[in-house]
Amino acid sequence: MNRATEIELMRLLHGELPAEQAGALRAQIAREPELAAAWARLESTWSGLELPPAAPAPPAFAQRVLAQARRQPGLSWSAAPRWARATAAAALAAGLALGLGAGKLAGGARSSQDTDSALAVSAAGGGPSLAETYWDSLADLSDLDDGARQ
Amino acid sequence: MGTDSARASATDPDWDVLARVAAGEGDAFVHLMEHHQDRLLRLCERMLGDVEEARDATQEVFLKVYQKAGAARPQGQVYTWLYRIAVNHCLNKLRRRKLVRFLRWENPAEDADVAPFDPPDTAPDPAAALESRLRWQSTRRAIAALPDNQRAVLVLARFEGLSYKQIAEVLEISEGAVESRLFRAMRRIEGAQESDASRVSRKEVRR
Repeated sequence: MNRATEIELMRLLHGELPAEQAGALRAQIAREPELAAAWARLESTWSGLELPPAAPAPPAFAQRVLAQARRQPGLSWSAAPRWARATAAAALAAGLALGLGAGKLAGGARSSQDTDSALAVSAAGGGPSLAETYWDSLADLSDLDDGARQ
Repeated sequence: MGTDSARASATDPDWDVLARVAAGEGDAFVHLMEHHQDRLLRLCERMLGDVEEARDATQEVFLKVYQKAGAARPQGQVYTWLYRIAVNHCLNKLRRRKLVRFLRWENPAEDADVAPFDPPDTAPDPAAALESRLRWQSTRRAIAALPDNQRAVLVLARFEGLSYKQIAEVLEISEGAVESRLFRAMRRIEGAQESDASRVSRKEVRR
């Protein structure tokens, strides 16, 4: 079975084929055992993907988020010029690269019982590691780019 | 923007609500959240595979919505815009999770992405309940094993019921790319199911 045929079957499964094409493909499935087997397999895989209903929102979720939104100041990055954001992103990326290197060196030097990197979440405090902080900052910057495109 | 804005508002009144959010109306924000929170919670839970993390993510998404409301350009449906922010946020969280695992020298195996899972039993028949739980666990493992971009497409198609066109709008990719990612995701899942089945049959033979 070639990829084009499998993609056609997927379009049929997802209701993406025009009625006429869908009818023709169904007729072909009825005629060709190999195609029928591929169709049955695809349908079974798709319908086998099941998850329980999602958990509902906690009580007063919206009100709590509103209160938090009002407490926190606006993201100052959005007001910053593009060059400033690019410079900050480059600095964060360089810091992350340094952090990665340091983490690997520290991890390699330690015994096998203590494999947690020096940059990982500290077991005592449970606070975010340096790497996590860097990653948060980078994620915020990329989110701002997403926002700018809206 | 005037004509576009008027046209979009005519198709989705939530753009007007979003404009009121941008003007600082708290009631409008609560209304918008209550209208969309369940679908965003569901999306984040499917993407991240963890209920608590999904709640945090949804909250963070709405905080971004509050901050970005003034910058939103009315185009299409509001939920598409919300989905875009939520999917990008979840993808960032997944990347961050992988990086932290890497820094901690943890095994990046797919199972590490599957949070403990204990949904309430709803089926009256214990055998049926067990069967459902096994199916749910297998689905979660299958989703967790997918590359992030395939995971997003599969979740939007299978669990959110979005069309190729809607997924393309949310992810800002072509419909061809949606189709291709979905195809590769399905291939991967079929492969995983086949190897699961052969593992089970090997165990049976050993007994």
